[in-house]
Amino acid sequence: MTSPLEALSFKVLFDAAADAMLLVDSAGQVVEANLAALELLEYSEASICGLAVESLIPHRFRGHHQQYRDTFFKAPEKRSMGNGRDLFAQSSSGKELAVDIGLSPIKTQNQLYILITFYAADKRREAEQALRASEERLQLAKQAANLGVFDLDPKSHVFHCDEKIQQLWGGKPDKPISYEEFINAINPEDRVAREIEFDRCSDPSGDGKYNMEYRITNPNDGIERWISTVGEMHFKNSEAVRFVGVARDITELKIIEKNLHVQRVETESFYKQQIASHTASAIAHDLNQPLAAISAYSDVALHALSNANNNPELLKRALEGCVAQAQRAGTSLHELIAFLQEGELITERFDLNLTVQDALNITKGDGYKEFQPILKLEQNMPAVLANRIQIQKVLVNLLRNAVEAMREAKAADSKITVTVKTHQDLSMAHVTIKDCGSGVNQELVKRIFEPFFTTKPTGIGMGLAISRALIEANGGQLWLGANTKSGAEFHFTLPFAP
Amino acid sequence: MSMPKPTIFIIDDDSAVRDSLSLMIAQENIDVQTFDSAETFLNSYQPEACGCAIIDIRMSGMDGMELHQSMLTRHILLPVIFLTGHGDIPLSVQAIKAGAVDFLTKPVTREKLITAINAAIQKSKTLLSENANHQEALSHLAHLTDRERDVMLLAVQGHPNKHIARQLGISHRTVEIHKSKIMQKTGAVNLLDLARIVHESKQID
Repeated sequence: MTSPLEALSFKVLFDAAADAMLLVDSAGQVVEANLAALELLEYSEASICGLAVESLIPHRFRGHHQQYRDTFFKAPEKRSMGNGRDLFAQSSSGKELAVDIGLSPIKTQNQLYILITFYAADKRREAEQALRASEERLQLAKQAANLGVFDLDPKSHVFHCDEKIQQLWGGKPDKPISYEEFINAINPEDRVAREIEFDRCSDPSGDGKYNMEYRITNPNDGIERWISTVGEMHFKNSEAVRFVGVARDITELKIIEKNLHVQRVETESFYKQQIASHTASAIAHDLNQPLAAISAYSDVALHALSNANNNPELLKRALEGCVAQAQRAGTSLHELIAFLQEGELITERFDLNLTVQDALNITKGDGYKEFQPILKLEQNMPAVLANRIQIQKVLVNLLRNAVEAMREAKAADSKITVTVKTHQDLSMAHVTIKDCGSGVNQELVKRIFEPFFTTKPTGIGMGLAISRALIEANGGQLWLGANTKSGAEFHFTLPFAP
Repeated sequence: MSMPKPTIFIIDDDSAVRDSLSLMIAQENIDVQTFDSAETFLNSYQPEACGCAIIDIRMSGMDGMELHQSMLTRHILLPVIFLTGHGDIPLSVQAIKAGAVDFLTKPVTREKLITAINAAIQKSKTLLSENANHQEALSHLAHLTDRERDVMLLAVQGHPNKHIARQLGISHRTVEIHKSKIMQKTGAVNLLDLARIVHESKQID
């Protein structure tokens, strides 16, 4: 049985092939072209035969081609051309065609031919498919992000936009909106700001980026919407030539934002009220103690005077008590006011080590005596410049907290280590107060410096907040050490006197 | 019985308040002792003390309310007057419910303070004498047998011997013997006196 192929001539097969084929001789001249090739390259059979293959490629590639051709003819083998580079053929009308090319050497007894196959159709289909897929992806992405796209020529104001923009701006489906309509829909109050932003992005010395939020009114239904637009200006020879942007409806977002703002204002006002009430309570507490003492001392003095056998010693003691307590009330008041509103700070040079001693004595004097102080004081340290009374108050407060923490933890050890040394940056003194309590619970670490935050049933929660404010007012910082496992460790710094 | 001289115990962590109040009370010829914390007071407290405790509600360490609770669990009979900085109304209600005699706001006038102290001393005396009677009654009842106790409880409720005998399943004569033993051991002069002793023994606990 004979193969059906034997009955067919080469010419019939050649012309029936879907791919464009050329047969080229060793001189590089076209000797045959099939019908698909004639169609692709737009030649008649007569005009293509005898042409050099170089005349079928764009001019810019011709020079190198001859070299490639010579190399190929020296060692002909079946392969594809171009090694993955984009190849182009040129039709008789000068149109460039993206093609893939296969080369097959065909040897007859006395001649070497090359069969060139163009896979133009595949290449084009691929490109078309890729383009379609890419457009589809873009479309889906736009839908997902609820984006509308517009494209503007900043000079001629030629304006293109997609359906989403049409819909937002209230354009009719069959009549694309113009740039003028686009601008007119923008709320007049926002138009100036938009113009400024657009001018800014049109400046060739800038980055061309555009970012704007404005309100638009749909001319059909009169409904106002918030739009967020992001875009970029493109430049050519330092001239703005094209602006592409996307727009998104953010009306709902704006409504949520507005509601949040209202809530925030309400919360803030509530918080302020709380602060006011707590502050009043703090002032009441700090003033009431000395007032109670003054009232009792004065009563004692009066009673002593009206008594027949008056006792000058007692009278003296009572009146001295009055004076001291009136001073104390005044100081408390000034400190609270200094905390609440920044006032001027009176500073002096003093030896921090001595103030630490004073603070220890004060703490021991008032119901906090059951601790064992361990002092690590750097000797011959320069004097610090701060308000001594305020620093003393901070130290007493930190020491009291330390004692309370150890009471709370029922700690076996009652050591409080106070370290005073030169801070690493040399211009500051660094004080550390470490107790043997159970440390600060991780959840509380962030909150312990907040005003009115307290873990004590009778505390008003101003101690650490005031302490921090006082140290900061004196040019230092107060913080809680990271190592809080074996007791809490509070640090503060103060500037040395210049 | 003789009462010890009343003493006022001031427990406040503010030294000026402690000092001024103690001077004021001393002018009234009343003995005063001051303490800077609840703990120091509890450590030095002598039972049987007559007088009252003046306690600051807001103290560091153990606060006033906790100190009061601590005193109650330790059967410290001292009446308590609380001092507070400013109207802690919920606290005052809680304090009065827990048995505090008074709740005074700082600054406090001499008149108010002394009135409260006098009332507290009065209460302290009553508590102490009740307690003394209670202790005495307890000691009177200490030597009774279980059976004698049963008979006594029924007798002071007014049950005639016949009922007691029937209820306890013993003879009329045995009841009479128990009763005479009870009167002998407790030193009660009659049934009414015995009823008083039983009543006092039930106080406090």
